[in-house]
Amino acid sequence: MEIRPILSALLRSKTAPLLVAIQVALTLAGLVNALYIVDLRLAASARASGVADEASVFHITTSPVTKPSHEQAMAQRQRDLEVLRALPGVAAASWTNQMPVARSGTTSSYSIDRKQQRPSLLMGTYFAPPGLIDTLGLRLVEGRDFQPGDVLEIDESKDHPDGTFPTTAILSRRAAEALYPGTSALGKPVYLGTGASAPEMRVIGVVETLQTPFAQAGAEGEHSILIPLSVAGQYPRIAVRADRGQRDRAMADAEAALRKMSLAPRVVILRSTEQDRTGRYRNERTLAWMLVAVSGLLLLVTGSGIVGMTMLRISQRRKQIGVRRALGARRIDIVRHFVVENVLVSTAGIAFGLVLGLVLNRLLVTHLQLSPLPPYYLVGGALALWALGILAVSGPAWRAAGIPPATATRSV
Amino acid sequence: MLRMHNLSKVYRTQMIETHALRGFDIDVREGEFVTVTGPSGSGKTTFLNIAGLLETFDGGEFTLDGVDVRGMRDAARSRLRNEKLGFIFQGFNLIPDLDLFDNVDVPLRYRGFGAAERRERIEAALADVGLASRKRHYPAELSGGQQQRVAIARALAGSPRLLLADEPTGNLDSQMARSVMELLEDINARGTTILMVTHDPELAIRAQRNVHIVDGQVSDVLRHPASLVEGGGRTATSLQ
Repeated sequence: MEIRPILSALLRSKTAPLLVAIQVALTLAGLVNALYIVDLRLAASARASGVADEASVFHITTSPVTKPSHEQAMAQRQRDLEVLRALPGVAAASWTNQMPVARSGTTSSYSIDRKQQRPSLLMGTYFAPPGLIDTLGLRLVEGRDFQPGDVLEIDESKDHPDGTFPTTAILSRRAAEALYPGTSALGKPVYLGTGASAPEMRVIGVVETLQTPFAQAGAEGEHSILIPLSVAGQYPRIAVRADRGQRDRAMADAEAALRKMSLAPRVVILRSTEQDRTGRYRNERTLAWMLVAVSGLLLLVTGSGIVGMTMLRISQRRKQIGVRRALGARRIDIVRHFVVENVLVSTAGIAFGLVLGLVLNRLLVTHLQLSPLPPYYLVGGALALWALGILAVSGPAWRAAGIPPATATRSV
Repeated sequence: MLRMHNLSKVYRTQMIETHALRGFDIDVREGEFVTVTGPSGSGKTTFLNIAGLLETFDGGEFTLDGVDVRGMRDAARSRLRNEKLGFIFQGFNLIPDLDLFDNVDVPLRYRGFGAAERRERIEAALADVGLASRKRHYPAELSGGQQQRVAIARALAGSPRLLLADEPTGNLDSQMARSVMELLEDINARGTTILMVTHDPELAIRAQRNVHIVDGQVSDVLRHPASLVEGGGRTATSLQ
């Protein structure tokens, strides 16, 4: 291989190769970090919410035009549930206050000891009757579901003595592990807030996964607690699971039925969990596609830069190529010359790009809480840029190989 | 060494057909020093390009060192060129970004010699032309005569059977031209066949044979032209 003389020649006229090497370096650094962010975003948007079959689940939020009394609200909710459960294609329906990935709901601070100065964990707080676990298709991995006797109904318009709160709770596995690492949380206490008056609940069950309505990045997106607390709430919500393939029809039937039997005027909003997921991750997907587009553009610009540099070097060296051909170079030798030249330039750019990529990643780790870049991204990025370089240079190099050897004897 | 019989070469454009060579015959024997002269446009360069396998021809026969080159594929022509021929160009045609060592190395790498053999050949060739001590210099750091000596070293390093020189002294002053010519004569004396195109009548007559081309054909062949000039034959100026 004629690496040394090619390298020596490159070093003597280094402006164009240097610019291309810098372009390769910036592309590599940008590309690996952008694609890593894309991968993280897409992985985040693909995380399980805990709902077993999202394609079958939807929820209904009603908003009364005039605030009903507690009794009226409870009667309406009970009647809604009965009507919904009676609809063909509806497998289960339960009241709740919020839904996973729905981007609207309640989070509260919890502790495992009233004497704690600071709470242990912020958790998405689901108000849940017996059966919500079944309606959502959550997987109970420890303990039991709520029983009717666990449910505490509270009229929010009235005062209640301190400590009036349900005494049982079900945790998501991530929340249980965070509160009681290395041991089962079953039977252990969980307090709402801290201090002497913090209501105490005992953990009676653990579900495999239950994302919060906000599905935050990282483990906190799965820190959820279910509490058997029945309140009318400002926006009563009912979760519904349809039979497989019946969701859309069930949603239409449910909307029509609820509008028909409303005891008082109200706004009825239906959303499927799939719609919630799409809405929750719309920004992530938009960002991901933007980064993919920018990465593609970077590769295109770099590829064009390599083509341009090669074309320039070929046009400057037509005579030299003819001389090489006259001295015995085959066409493939000329192609190889330019490919080797490009690989050397790319390698310099890639080496610099790897360092730059790691520095950029370090900044992202520090400022955006991104995890460190896995080494295979750098390896993959380097290989991609080598391949791009060879691909970009091959066309001009073949054209250079077509320069006739007789060019050597021409005076111009 | 080189034999052409009834060779023809036509350049065609959409409008014009130019017969650069027609019915061209030449036979260069091993060890000869042959000069080729002729007016501009007579076909000298075309002849040299075909002799050097830089261009193909349209008709006739051409054998180089016993090899029939008709219909030979490009890669085979490159290989033959590399193994059997050495080129010296009017404009030296050294590669400016390579030092002298690497310039002489160019054809040897295409030949596939190992590093040790290449080094030995390069150093011997540069020593032959008196530039061994400047092997890490670049062409721009040398005079025209020195650059042409490097080109000669590059041509000789592969031990060619035939050295083709295209106006090798055309870009040199008379003193340098004489020195380069003496070097070529010395190389020829050591057994290398040389075919040299030149405009310079003084140099042309120093060869063992001068071939004069007019309108793409050999019009005149003089053996030992220098002695003929001295003996009252064709004068040097008439060679132009």
